Amino acid sequence: MTFRVLDPTPEKAPPVGQLAPRLDTLEGKTIGFISNGKEGTKGFFAHLDRVLREEHGVAKVVMRTKSNYSAPADAHIVAEIRNWDAVISGIGD
Amino acid sequence: MQLSSRTYDADNIAAVQELYHSNGWTDGLPIVPPTREAVEACLEWAMMPPDQLIGIEPVRGLAVTAEKLAVNAVMAGCLPMHFPVVVTAWTAMMQEEFLMHGATASTGGCAVLVVLNGPIRLELGASGGFNALGNSDRATAVIGRAIRLCLINLMDVRPGVIDRSTLGHPGKFSYCIAEDEEDTTWKSLAEQRGIPKEASAVTVMAAGAPRQIMNEWTTRPEDILETFAAEMRANLRHYSIHPGNYALIIPKQLREHLQAAGWSKTDIAGFIHERARIHRREWAEVGKGAVVRDRGDSVYPAMESADQLLVVAAGGPAGGFGAIIPPWLGNKSHAVTMAIGACVDCELPKKQQ
Repeated sequence: MTFRVLDPTPEKAPPVGQLAPRLDTLEGKTIGFISNGKEGTKGFFAHLDRVLREEHGVAKVVMRTKSNYSAPADAHIVAEIRNWDAVISGIGD
Repeated sequence: MQLSSRTYDADNIAAVQELYHSNGWTDGLPIVPPTREAVEACLEWAMMPPDQLIGIEPVRGLAVTAEKLAVNAVMAGCLPMHFPVVVTAWTAMMQEEFLMHGATASTGGCAVLVVLNGPIRLELGASGGFNALGNSDRATAVIGRAIRLCLINLMDVRPGVIDRSTLGHPGKFSYCIAEDEEDTTWKSLAEQRGIPKEASAVTVMAAGAPRQIMNEWTTRPEDILETFAAEMRANLRHYSIHPGNYALIIPKQLREHLQAAGWSKTDIAGFIHERARIHRREWAEVGKGAVVRDRGDSVYPAMESADQLLVVAAGGPAGGFGAIIPPWLGNKSHAVTMAIGACVDCELPKKQQ
């Protein structure tokens, strides 16, 4: 007996964000961190902050922490992203 | 009826199984082949056109249509009569306060607990009796499984992909119970949460595994409930101090003592709210002293308010057992209760020749 069966997954690919253009240099740039606020992020971002400033000449690091680590970043944090040259997020457990 | 899903031809039932397993479309168990006829039967039963938008998952923006829910429901073993429950549960899960993405992606590894209330339980043969939290009956088994298959296939909630659970638990195969409304004087869970008694409803909760308790050596409500509260305190100590929706599953033997003493669900929730709380310093007794810091005297209740407790009458007739079901991570996800709607003025979708 043959079966004609249906695909259980969506035909349309989920909407995905696009990566911003890569930076030529970190020298003099403003980098934003969006932390989920978990315990392990504190040491990680503190270290990364130092490395970016001392070894890559980053001018400014802005640290923001989500109010709910399981939900998307708060709107006021997302609104700030346009002021940064790059953002580092999605880190931490 | 115009379905939009891609089709595949398979020579036999074994080939169907391999097709679905090899594409990562299953939970590891065999599936029922989702043929056009079976999927259309579900949609017709629910009077839904295939492209009806059930909702858009709020975090990743993924659209969910009736057709895709039906394909997965058939795969799980659902009959058409089960399908409206799956649709309503998914509609509830897509409410923002449920935080479906966080709950299903989290390392915490919770499952979606579905509680059925109202007349539809009897129509479906869903049992809130023997083995209520296990394989009690066909309806709850296939509805719970459909929830999971939809997560896997519609949201990519596959282990290691969106599902980042460290452990998960067996409820992630199927986690659906029906409340025992026939054998109790209590209001049903849905009624407690504002749904009229005559309506059928589902409640969804981002839920950890059940933790079973036993106390058959008393008839005093305070003693019985103290055992439940102690198990909740254990969860606060060993797992998480985040307050939120806990569920209490109370089978008949213990329920009869509570009811004989005149305790309502509201009375129970009030008592539990007072008793299920710990001091932060207790964490030092279970190896978590490092995070007590200077806040040892802070008190952490299991719920922010008594009405966060979901009291459910279910379980076999004998045995002084009960269970608490803890939340995934407190108030990050809120339980949602929704009536199973009947579209009274919809036309049946026309069949395509």
